Amino acid sequence: MQEQFRLDGKVVIVTGGGRGLGRGMAHALAAAGAKVMISARTKEQLDRTVQEIRDAGGVASSFAGDMTDSAQVNAMVDACVAEYGGLDVCFANAGIGGGTDAEFWEYPDWAFEDVLGRNLKSNFYTCRAAAKVMVEQGRGGVLVLTSSAGGHRASKRWAYATAKGGVLSLTKVLSGMLAGHGIRVNSISPGIVAQNDPVDEQDAARRAQQGTFVPANRVGAWWEMGPLAVWLASDASSYVTGTDIAIDGGMMNAGLAPVSYRPQHEI
Amino acid sequence: MPPQTDYFDLTGKKAMVVGAEFPAGAAIARAYAAAGADVALCALTADEAVMRARAVKRDIEAMGRHVAEYVMDVTLGKNVQVTTRQVAKEMGGLDIVASAPDLFMAKPIEKTSDTELARVMQVNFASQFFVVRTAAEEFRRDHRAGRILLVTSVLGGRSMLDTAAYASAHGAVHNLVRASAHELGGEGITVNAISLGWMDWMDDRIDQSNEDGKRALRFPMLRRAGHADEVGGTAVWLAAEHASSFITGQIIPVEGGLLQHQ
Repeated sequence: MQEQFRLDGKVVIVTGGGRGLGRGMAHALAAAGAKVMISARTKEQLDRTVQEIRDAGGVASSFAGDMTDSAQVNAMVDACVAEYGGLDVCFANAGIGGGTDAEFWEYPDWAFEDVLGRNLKSNFYTCRAAAKVMVEQGRGGVLVLTSSAGGHRASKRWAYATAKGGVLSLTKVLSGMLAGHGIRVNSISPGIVAQNDPVDEQDAARRAQQGTFVPANRVGAWWEMGPLAVWLASDASSYVTGTDIAIDGGMMNAGLAPVSYRPQHEI
Repeated sequence: MPPQTDYFDLTGKKAMVVGAEFPAGAAIARAYAAAGADVALCALTADEAVMRARAVKRDIEAMGRHVAEYVMDVTLGKNVQVTTRQVAKEMGGLDIVASAPDLFMAKPIEKTSDTELARVMQVNFASQFFVVRTAAEEFRRDHRAGRILLVTSVLGGRSMLDTAAYASAHGAVHNLVRASAHELGGEGITVNAISLGWMDWMDDRIDQSNEDGKRALRFPMLRRAGHADEVGGTAVWLAAEHASSFITGQIIPVEGGLLQHQ
């Protein structure tokens, strides 16, 4: 059974892999035996994460680039193929808010374009470049990071939620189009998952407070993304495609009342 | 070409409402009658439920529609069948069957007894199963493209503490809608549900003496509980011959945006 979860010899890209959830996934994927290429805009973060993985005995390299620019995305996939000889699994993980805080009815064109560029177009570029290689190989896996904000009310983050909704649709349509090519496509919807370890007691207290909104009574840790990433990248999930997996401590199932609310009614 | 008709008119239609003594059932019965239908009211028990159904009956009589009341023990499939047969005979057929029984129970899963679970499943789920089974039989006998409408709860798809039995029963109702809609679709029979969020009569589950209970009423986007008369319009839309003829197997939320909350 355990060998199904191994990724020995597999080549995996994680965009946005320098920090946060991407870093958590890159660590676990490398620990499962994959050769990992991480990308991000910030070189220092990439260097640190690559070093961490190597120190743990893994194989990793990096590509510094902006995933909102399709030429740089293509160059990343080319660099991966050149270095490792192929691409087995691609995690389209890069994405960050962007835009502005303006009210919806005042929202400027540039801000909406900005949010879509960072959160939807970038994922399209990444999936397209990965699919090109994987279709030729006749096998592969694509994982797209979306968000619990994808299908739900998100007040100030409405544009981000809209883009993530697009990402969810992209996953569904891609899974259908690529299934015949031996490529599985799934998405991951994190709820409240912390991007790093708490820096101090105040930070920890803030997280504990956030955790009271979650049925699990805590927020997720960045490294908890790892085992999920390994399962979805590995043969252990070989018949899983076109689905969205929530990692949210039960948050998206709840939400009808305060998490701790206990009605009492005998019959 | 679209039919030349008033889409939401139920004139001449024969409707049966099971659980007419419950607020949602009563609202649906009144709305059907207001839209022109004759209505059979079925109360689940021969006690004060009948008195509540009788109040609905008086309102419908005042609208000038034909209305009759019955007692239907929905815990027995045979009783549902026999009573429905009687209703159909006395009304001259059936076009619309709505069902709105509701028995809420909240207690921790490890404290829920076999008997309590059976009762919650029986009233909330098995009753709806019997109603769908019997309605299908009636509609098929007359070759009618009848309408079936079940009333269910948002808890059928989402979690809240100490509601495992009730939520499971309503989850079963959600799937009953999908499965039976598929099975009956070939005969033009539609099966849909209205999924209620927090309604203003639901003191049994929203305890307003409790801070968290009060806060729950701020969770819907409309920031309030729903009223019974806000169920009627959706029920009429789903019952009208030409308004919803291609809509089946759907759970329509009437919850003020509660399901968008997270």
